[in-house]
Amino acid sequence: MKQYLGPLNKENPVLVQTLGVCSALAVTAQLKPAVVMALSVTAVCAVANLVISLIRNTIPPRIRIIVQLLVVSTLVIMVDQILQAYVYEVSKMLSVFVGLIITNCIIMGRLEAFALSHKPLPSFVDGIMNGIGYGLVLVVVAFFRELLGSGTLWGHPVVPQSWYAAGYLNNGLMILPPMALILVGGLIWIVNSRKSGVNH
Amino acid sequence: MKTFSNRYIFLYITVLVMVIAVLLTAVSMGLKPRREANQKVEKAQQILRAAGYENVGKEAALRMFDSVAVRNDIGGRECYDIRCADGTDGLVVFVEGKGLWGPIWGYVVLADDRATVKGVVFAHKSETPGLGDRITSPEFTRSFVGKRILDKDGNFVSVSVIPKGRGGEIPEENRVDAISGATLTSKGVNAMLRDQLAITTETEKR
Repeated sequence: MKQYLGPLNKENPVLVQTLGVCSALAVTAQLKPAVVMALSVTAVCAVANLVISLIRNTIPPRIRIIVQLLVVSTLVIMVDQILQAYVYEVSKMLSVFVGLIITNCIIMGRLEAFALSHKPLPSFVDGIMNGIGYGLVLVVVAFFRELLGSGTLWGHPVVPQSWYAAGYLNNGLMILPPMALILVGGLIWIVNSRKSGVNH
Repeated sequence: MKTFSNRYIFLYITVLVMVIAVLLTAVSMGLKPRREANQKVEKAQQILRAAGYENVGKEAALRMFDSVAVRNDIGGRECYDIRCADGTDGLVVFVEGKGLWGPIWGYVVLADDRATVKGVVFAHKSETPGLGDRITSPEFTRSFVGKRILDKDGNFVSVSVIPKGRGGEIPEENRVDAISGATLTSKGVNAMLRDQLAITTETEKR
């Protein structure tokens, strides 16, 4: 059980393994796209892990990366189509980043490191946990970026108008990617300082 | 490690690709009606919003659109005659151009004089969330209301999208402020309007 909970804490894909940082910077300007992105990555990661695990003994090692890419991109295209059909507005907010899930290192990383050598069910759970580990970081970063950058949460204004009248300003830097990098860096710092005996 | 013959590898990948092709086609075809319905409703909502109808629900949008708008292309460009929310007649012009990452497009509603902007909406495929995608925000689109695409002598000048404070010689009524942090997307909007709104005045003269 413990190995499955790793991604939520000491083996977090973004904060400890520093995978998938690119998209974590890109979609976290607001909370809503961040949550949908997290769900999409979780779905893709879990199902890709399951599929690869199911066919792991038939995959010729020499073309395993190609096979993995095919499976992942198929799933991502399906997720994109489903988002466009059922949550059209959000799919527009995520725009190119759904397609970029294909290149998310977490997914390929888990396929290589776990699904190729484990049974289907554990692989599926591993995919879900890593997706959630990734999603948690996205949500935390997006929470602060949306709150401080736009004064809203989930699109609803939360900073009272009286603050603005008193001279409060939204921090424009928050909605720019560099600030996301700084926030992610801060989170990495916190997680690493809680872990004893880390050496990179 | 288990070894696989070349023949197996070729066969394996061919079968895999074929399975995937069938699967994706099925998903795409299956969801197509829903996707297209979404796009149609969105378009109707966008045009209605530009014409001043606020918060038209998804269900009502298509019916309402049919009752106030009639397609009337000008010079091969997609246009509609529309009855605006304030009761006046307007002309909807479809414009399309390039943003920073991909296509942008929009609908401009001109008043009966074919010179005054009554409202605009913009949409985009892949502008940066939080920056370029703010061309769709009410703050930006509202700044176009009341602007004119003709100068004082009646020549076409479009509505320029210029960074704040750099308007220079351009009269207030012919420009709006660009979005800070989204310079290239703003330039895209500027070029789109400049290149494509002219059609309305040209046809008028002919």
